[in-house]
Amino acid sequence: MTAAERDRVDSAATPADETYARDGDDGDGDGGERDGDGDQRDEGGRDDADEIDTGHDDHPTDRRALRPFDTGRWVGVTGVALTLVGLGVALRQPGMVLVGAAAVGYGLYARLGEAGEAVLEIDREVSDPTPDPGDEVSVTVRARNVGDAPCLDLRIVDGVPPGLEVVDGPARVATALRPGASVTFSYAVRASRGDHEWGTTRAVVRNAAGSRERLTELETPTRLTCTPELAAGGDLPLRGLTTVSHGRVPTDVGGSGVEFHATREYRRGDPLKRVDWNRRARTGELATLELREERAATVVLLVDAREAAYVADRPDGDTAVEASVEAAGAVFTALLAGGDRVGIATMGPRDCWLPPGAGNDHAVRGRETLATDPALAPTPSEDRFYRTLWRRRFRRRLPGDAQVLFFTPLVDDVPVDTARRLDAYGHLVTVLSPDTTATRSSRLSSRLPSRSTSTPGRKLAAIERRERIRTLRGAGIRVVEWGDRSFPAAVAGANGRWSR
Amino acid sequence: MVAVSAERNRGSVTDGDRGAEADGSRGPEAAEERERDARPPTLAVVSSLVAATVATVAALVADPTGGAVVGASVVCLAGGSLLGSARVLSWGAAAGIGGIALAAAFGGGAEPLLVAGVALAVAWDVADHGLSVGRQVGRKARTRRNVAVHAGTTLLAGTISAGVVYGTYVVAAGGQPIAALALLCFGGVVLASAFR
Repeated sequence: MTAAERDRVDSAATPADETYARDGDDGDGDGGERDGDGDQRDEGGRDDADEIDTGHDDHPTDRRALRPFDTGRWVGVTGVALTLVGLGVALRQPGMVLVGAAAVGYGLYARLGEAGEAVLEIDREVSDPTPDPGDEVSVTVRARNVGDAPCLDLRIVDGVPPGLEVVDGPARVATALRPGASVTFSYAVRASRGDHEWGTTRAVVRNAAGSRERLTELETPTRLTCTPELAAGGDLPLRGLTTVSHGRVPTDVGGSGVEFHATREYRRGDPLKRVDWNRRARTGELATLELREERAATVVLLVDAREAAYVADRPDGDTAVEASVEAAGAVFTALLAGGDRVGIATMGPRDCWLPPGAGNDHAVRGRETLATDPALAPTPSEDRFYRTLWRRRFRRRLPGDAQVLFFTPLVDDVPVDTARRLDAYGHLVTVLSPDTTATRSSRLSSRLPSRSTSTPGRKLAAIERRERIRTLRGAGIRVVEWGDRSFPAAVAGANGRWSR
Repeated sequence: MVAVSAERNRGSVTDGDRGAEADGSRGPEAAEERERDARPPTLAVVSSLVAATVATVAALVADPTGGAVVGASVVCLAGGSLLGSARVLSWGAAAGIGGIALAAAFGGGAEPLLVAGVALAVAWDVADHGLSVGRQVGRKARTRRNVAVHAGTTLLAGTISAGVVYGTYVVAAGGQPIAALALLCFGGVVLASAFR
C-alpha cells in the first residue's frame, strides 16, 4: 500500500462485529444470485453446509474501506452538452438542442450516488485443508451483501496466497448485489509445500455511473497446510568429523569396526579375534589388527533461503529453494535412519533452527519444519537479510562437532564465502547445489526451441556458478550439484568420486 | 534462470491480487498477464457494438452524412475494446458526438437524433466499463450480471433524460405554455443541480 492509499483509509470504517451481529435476520427469500449461467445459490442450505464442510473457517470478515475517489469517467459530458445546446440555438436546430439537453441528464447521472463501502461478508471454503503437494484444491468463496445499500457494480478479487497457483478459473468475480444477496464463485489452486494463509480480499465498488470508485479490503483468514512426505533419500557420504557415539561414518580412528585400518603391537588385554595370527605364524610376534571405528555424526542441514536463492530454470519451474528443501528432506530421512543426529537451519531473513537430534519425535519435527516453516516458504520473505548477524547467530548455535550440509543454488558469492568460513572454523562443509542454470536437454528443449535454453544471460550465470564451484572445490569443500538428474542419482555419482 | 522477488508479490491495489494468479508467484509479470485474460468481457464488447450500430442507424435515418461519421465511431469503439485502450474509446465517442452534431446541423429529425445520442452514450459507457472490468477481473471470470446491470442503468438514465427533454419539446411545440413552463422549470432544477 502506498502512502497515498494509506491516506485514503477511512477512519470510520465499520467494525466487523456490527455486521456480524446482523447476520441472524437474513430470512428474506431474495438471496441467491441468478447469473447468466443459470446457477442459483440458495440461502436456506447454508447452515447445513457449514456443519458438514471441514474446510470452512467460521471467522467474521474484517473490513477496511479506503476513501472513494473519482474515476474520471463522464468527465466533460456537461461541457459537450452545453456546447451542443449553444450550437443548436445558434444554428436554430431543435434536434441539436434536444440532444444537448439529453446529455445534461448524463452529467447529472454521473453525479448521482457515491461509491459505498462494500459491506460484504465473505465465506471461504477449501475442499481439503491439508492436501498433498500437487493436489488440486477447489476453493469456494461466497460473498454476501450484509449492508443496506445495493452494490450496483462490485468486483471481488480474492487474496490467494502467493505460494499457491490458481489452475482453474480466475479467483475474481464481477457482479451486482442487492442487500442480502450473495454471489458464489469458485476456483482451483494447486497445492504446494508450505503453510498458506489467504490474504486480503479486495472488493471494488463503483456507483451506478462508474464515476466514483472505492476499494474495501476484506480479511477472512483461511488456512491451507500442505506437508509433503519426505522421500527416502540417497545415502549421502558424510565427512570425517564425528561425535564419540557409535554410528555409520568410518573414521580414521582405529578400534573395532569392519574395515581394516592398521596393525599395531599387541597389548595385553586385546581381544583374541583381532590378533593378526598370520603375522604371528610368519614372524612369531603378536600384533593386533586395528579396524576403522564407525561413529555417528552430527549434521546440520543448512538451506539457503535468501531472496537470491529463489531462482528457477523456467518461469513456471520449481525454485532452487524448493529443490533444496526436497533434497534436504531426503537427506534428513537417510541420515536419521543411519543413526546420525540431524538438525535444520536456514540462511535467510527469517530465523529457523531445529537443533540436531534423533528419534521419531525429531523426525516428525524435521518434517514439519521443512514443510511449513515460514523461513522456507515457497515465495521469498520481504524482510531484509543481515549476513553478519546471521553468521554470528548460526555459529553460536552450531555444535562444535557438527558437519554442515549446505543446500544452495550458488547464484552469488555469499554462500561461497559462508561455506569457506564454516569450513575454516572446523565444521566440515559439503555443498549440495541444485543447478538452476542447467539447460534443459532432450525432450523439453526440442519442444521449446531456443526460448529458455541458452540465452547469453543464462550462459554467463552458468559460467559464474561453475567458477564458484571451482573455488569451493579448490578450498577442499565437497560439492554435489544436480539439475537435470535426480538428487539421488547425483549423490550416487559423487559417492563413486569420493570413495577412498 | 529466473529470479523470484518478494517485491512482485505486493500486488497493486486494484490491478491484481497478491501476484498469485496463475503462475504469478513464479514467473515475471508478463507470465501472469499471459495466463489471465485481461481483455474486456465478451458481453460488454458485443453490447457496446450493438448500441453503436443502433446509434449509427438512427443517425443515418436523421442524416446520411452525420450517420457515416457516427459509423466511424463503431470502428473506434471496436478497436478500443480490442486494443484495451480507453483513449481510442474516447476518440470513438468524440467521433460519434461529432457525427450527431453534423446530422443535427444538416437538419436531422429530433427523434432519431435523441435515439442516436442515448445509444452512443450506452455504447461508449459499456465499452469503457468493459475495459475496467477486464483489467480488474478478466474475461474468464463471471461478469455478465455486472455488465448487464451497468448497461441497464446507463440505458435507463439516458431514456429518462431523453424522455423528459423530448416531452418538454413536444409540449412546448404543441402550444401548452403552462405545462411547458413546468417542464422547463424541472429542466432548470436538473441543470442547476448538475452544475452545482
